[in-house]
Amino acid sequence: MSKKQIPEVDIVVDEKAGVIREVKQATRSKSGHERRVNTSIYIILVIMSIIWLAPFVFLVFQSFRSYKLESGGMVDYLLPKNGWSLDNYRFLFEGSNFFPWWGTTLLIAALCAAVLTLATVMIKRLGSENRHMKTLLTVLALVVGYGLFIALMVRLLGLAVSAEIAGKLVLSALLLLIAGYIVARFYLKQDSRLLRSIPGYEKEKTSDVVKKVIALFAEFAVIFAILACILKPMTASQYLNWYGNTLTVALFTAVIQTVIVLSVSYALSRLRFRGRKLIMNVVLVLGMFPGFLTMITLYFLLKQLGLTQSGAIPGMILIYCASSGMGYYISKGFFDTIPKSLDESARIDGATRFQVFLKIIMPLAKPIVIYTILMAFMAPWGDYVFASYIAFGSEPNFNVAVGLYRWVNVNDYQGYFTRFCAGGVLVALPITALFLALQKYYVEGVTGGAVKG
Amino acid sequence: MKKVLAMVLAAVMLLSVASFAAAEEGFSGEIKIWVAENTVDFTSQQVEAFKAAHPEYANMTVKIEPVGEGDAASNMITDVEAGADIFSFAQDQLARLVAAGALETVEENNAEAVKAENDAGSVAAVTLGDTMYAYPMTSDNGYFLYYDKSVVSDPSTLEGILADLEAAGKNFYFEINSGWYQTAFFFGYGCELTFDTDDEGNLVKMNASYASDNGVAALKAIIKLTQSPAFVNGSSVSNATNLGAIVDGTWDAGAAKDAFGENYAAAKLPTVDGVQLGGFGGFKMLGVKPQIDDAKLAACDALAAYLTSEEVQIARYNAVGWGPSNLNAQKNEAVQADEALAALGAQLAFCAPQGQYPGDYWSLATALGDDVIAGKYNDADDAALLEVLKNFEATCESYLNK
Amino acid sequence: MTDLEYLKLSKPAKLIFRIHQFFKNLPGMAWNGLKGLGLAIARLFGGLGKSVADLVTTFKDGDWKTRLSYLIMGFGSAARGQWGRGLLFFLFQTVFNVYMFMPNAAFSGCYYLGKLSTLGTVETYKEGRRTVYGDNSFFILLYGVLTIFFILAFIYTWRLNVKQNRISEQILKSGHRLKSTRDDVKSLADEQFHKTLLALPTLGVLIFTALPILFMILVAFTNFDSTHQPPGKLFTWVGWDNFHTLLSTDTASYGNTFSQVLLWTLIWAFFATFLNYFLGMLVAIMINKKGIKLKKMWRTILVMTIAIPQFVSLLYVSKMFAADGLINGALMRWGWISSPLPFWTDPHWARVTIIVINVWIGIPYLMLIATGILMNIPADLYESARIDGANAFQMYQKITLPYMLFVTGPYLLTSFTGNINNFNVIFLLSGGKPLSLELSGNAGYTDLLITWLYKMTVNDTNYKLAAVMGILVFVVTAVINLIVYNMIPSVKNEEDFQ
Repeated sequence: MSKKQIPEVDIVVDEKAGVIREVKQATRSKSGHERRVNTSIYIILVIMSIIWLAPFVFLVFQSFRSYKLESGGMVDYLLPKNGWSLDNYRFLFEGSNFFPWWGTTLLIAALCAAVLTLATVMIKRLGSENRHMKTLLTVLALVVGYGLFIALMVRLLGLAVSAEIAGKLVLSALLLLIAGYIVARFYLKQDSRLLRSIPGYEKEKTSDVVKKVIALFAEFAVIFAILACILKPMTASQYLNWYGNTLTVALFTAVIQTVIVLSVSYALSRLRFRGRKLIMNVVLVLGMFPGFLTMITLYFLLKQLGLTQSGAIPGMILIYCASSGMGYYISKGFFDTIPKSLDESARIDGATRFQVFLKIIMPLAKPIVIYTILMAFMAPWGDYVFASYIAFGSEPNFNVAVGLYRWVNVNDYQGYFTRFCAGGVLVALPITALFLALQKYYVEGVTGGAVKG
Repeated sequence: MKKVLAMVLAAVMLLSVASFAAAEEGFSGEIKIWVAENTVDFTSQQVEAFKAAHPEYANMTVKIEPVGEGDAASNMITDVEAGADIFSFAQDQLARLVAAGALETVEENNAEAVKAENDAGSVAAVTLGDTMYAYPMTSDNGYFLYYDKSVVSDPSTLEGILADLEAAGKNFYFEINSGWYQTAFFFGYGCELTFDTDDEGNLVKMNASYASDNGVAALKAIIKLTQSPAFVNGSSVSNATNLGAIVDGTWDAGAAKDAFGENYAAAKLPTVDGVQLGGFGGFKMLGVKPQIDDAKLAACDALAAYLTSEEVQIARYNAVGWGPSNLNAQKNEAVQADEALAALGAQLAFCAPQGQYPGDYWSLATALGDDVIAGKYNDADDAALLEVLKNFEATCESYLNK
Repeated sequence: MTDLEYLKLSKPAKLIFRIHQFFKNLPGMAWNGLKGLGLAIARLFGGLGKSVADLVTTFKDGDWKTRLSYLIMGFGSAARGQWGRGLLFFLFQTVFNVYMFMPNAAFSGCYYLGKLSTLGTVETYKEGRRTVYGDNSFFILLYGVLTIFFILAFIYTWRLNVKQNRISEQILKSGHRLKSTRDDVKSLADEQFHKTLLALPTLGVLIFTALPILFMILVAFTNFDSTHQPPGKLFTWVGWDNFHTLLSTDTASYGNTFSQVLLWTLIWAFFATFLNYFLGMLVAIMINKKGIKLKKMWRTILVMTIAIPQFVSLLYVSKMFAADGLINGALMRWGWISSPLPFWTDPHWARVTIIVINVWIGIPYLMLIATGILMNIPADLYESARIDGANAFQMYQKITLPYMLFVTGPYLLTSFTGNINNFNVIFLLSGGKPLSLELSGNAGYTDLLITWLYKMTVNDTNYKLAAVMGILVFVVTAVINLIVYNMIPSVKNEEDFQ
């Protein structure tokens, strides 16, 4: 789009001088009008930006007001009077052996990521054409890497492996296997013959180095997150507990919910079977009931399984994931836009529906996959209602929303407002960064799926 | 059906025999306690002392969780089974807890001791009808006035206080939209609002005289207070800005001392138009959950009785400043010297012990307070105010358990 | 009115005519709906009758393997070589039998079914000092419903089993080969792929959504509240009493409050949806305009309110507007006002404040959608319009607005119903306050139906009324959906590009 304004030429048949004057006048007034409009728009936008960002700026400012030296409660002035201090942030981490814990975790995570990367690179160099063998070798490397870091952890931290920790290790092994498999496939990915044979299909171009760096970082982040969830300390400050809880729930939910939502939306979009309309109608009707109606029932259901209070974290994951199939609408809209001819040509070539799903549709569905993962990840951070109901009475098992809400609104916690600000800042930073980094996919998901009737 | 019943009865008989045998040997299972967060450490020390003094309970595991009093009551009501075995709560929740089946009666021997050793108000607060349902712990859940000595010259009249505060640009905090603080005006002006209960915690009769000239006068005084520029609705020192004076309780004594520094002072509530403001005397207590195991119940009873005994109440005062309900403990020197407790004591002379109120009363009173704050009655005449109070009474009456 | 006359009407007149038509057609539509319902029921019974007839004929015509399958599920499949299917059927039957007729009578399906009509009769009693719990009405209801689900599933599976036997017999008779277990497993990735994909999610939805909803609907007909709380107390069926309590307008009932809360809910949903929609579109158009630089930066700044978790931003903003909060403090310090503005204490102020703050939250979302759609409008339309002499507003009205409405029509509907249930914004900002003597049952001026429901569940533990309210929310949502779906097709036909 050209930046210069193309002047409208208004041809008036008259004396030569008159014509030129008319034209000049027309352009000048036209661009002058434009400029006025643009300036006023700029002014409006600036005012809006200030209004939009102001509360967050205030939030950050107020988080620097020490609750020890000044009032920690709500006040009617903005900047701290007794100087800026990090007291609130220190309070959040109080009681934990913070630095050794995080340092060791970082180290172990880095080591394991390096091991895994080496393993996958070497496997790729092996040049074996057999897809299954490659995948098997990768998984083996994963298991070895995982075993390595467990051994390191037990050794370095002198960790006693109790039943609870053993359970967490198994769960995290599962998560690591899934994540590692995805990453390995990313490395070992060869666009299938079927995909490449479709006319007009172009492979996405990213430089190899960038790919490797991204994959390495992803591995590292996943391992680190898993470790953080396992080694979550029981501290005097509950904030780290809450943070770890919410992170655990968010990670597991992100993976499981994505799988479920994609399965359901794919099935309802591409496959035709008896009962398809019935399922869609039933889900529509069920969705019209308010969600909180079922709180007490879910609480007692979970209680039968022992997943409340101290078992609240698995309980929350179960609740989020079990009914997540009902949120298929946007993904289904996206799948509807993928032309069915792809399916048909693949099936003619002899692929089963499963192979079509995995090899043809999934690579094309990257935006919606990332969108679903993002939504699934962000949801547990803001859930107050269910989290407070399932975990009531057991403070170490709250999530961040419940804990911070209580700091502001429950009478037992006087003067915790600035600490709420600090806690809120620490929660908002990673979520905002994640959202802004993946904003493109969010927009695609929202516009693509939400508005297709 | 009959077979089921027979099996249940057989199981019951077996269990009772077993538990009878077990009762002799003490208890070695797990007990969960819910207390306010700032008393968790104190409570765990006391539990250790208890276990040392009673060897048959030495093998018990006691889990102490920080759950505030308001939360404790609502959590117990939501799910009794998942709740704590011993928990502390304020007496306005007593009827609700009994109705939900969350409180066990106090054991008879203990009940005698409790009646003899604690002050009359606290004993009345733990009793429904003729049955005692909890162990009284504190008698300091009332409210009085904290103020800034340098700003308020004479705290004996509300008019004087407001004039001083308005001149200095400071705020007067009073929680008008709380059914608890609101009664300061109504009871002070001579109105009555109490409910009689039966043994099961059902509210059977209401005694109210809000819809009277006294009530109208009280409501007008409240409206006048809200129209002062210095008035802010609230009752928490830490959430107060520009604090000049606040109607609050002993739990905020520490925060008030921090806020006012050297100018910290406490006094009974002021008079309004020559009428002394009254209010509620409140109490906190420890309750025991109904148990299916006799030995555990005996252990909980013993532990609860210990945690509310004279020595522990004095120790608790020294640790966190809670005014004891035990008569001897109240005569303790340190307790007598406490400024806030002295102010509370002076105020209690004008207060009625808080009885049982239906859960809906509190939201009704909040509704009335919110209406006053919203300025709804600013221009209302006496007849209109009387109508409002009549509706208030009628709605309260509808809350009786039929 | 003929089509030609209709086209000659002005826009508002067209709208009025359509609304008029809609209400005129309403009785007709209702009658059609009833007829359809009646037909559906008749077809259902017809289908049932046919199924029973089928079962009988299959039994008569089948061989001994089929007949034995009536008793032992899966026998026929197993005997004909389909081990996998046979085993699965048999397993299901065993689980069902064990559950229904468990030796420990206290927890079998039959036990719960038996008690379902009374919801428990054995009260809790005391033995000396300890409590012996009697029947637990909650679990009786819950497991009773679960048992009924299970029975229905069993009947369905049993019928499936019988049908499979018949089909297998026919296949064998015509000389073809039956599918082996290996074929079955393979087909899970192909013809039966939908079963693989949908099995777990369906189970999850059934147990964790359908069952609880059904349970709560049933609770609406009991007296389960704070004075009838299991395990200590029993509750029982009371029929339509709760609906009377909520909807009637006696002094002791909530009818007045309910209508007020419902009215505010609808007003709020309307404003929240349409205000955000138009303002969002406006902002999108502004940013999208030629000549505006740094488009991405503006969009990113505005998107912050979506990115930052709502519980942080809304809680903070609610404290900002409090009587002794930042805004009032600043205004008083600058001398603009002498006493704090009643943002949260005056009912009307509170409502307006909430709507305004919701604009703050909601515009970025709409802006993103509108931007995506606006980019799809071909630019030549605008060019040709400008050549024809249209100004900006006319272009908006004739090109942008109809296109947007056409594409986002269904989205508006979902957004509207979503806002009816928009819990977060109301709860975090004002908690439903301020209360008033005119609203009973702890409802406040800014309460939506759903926040009132939440208060009833958590604060008052008045589950029966909460259940009734949930049903009514469903009714309101369903009615709105139906009405709008019936009006939209006519909108769709109209709005073509001229």
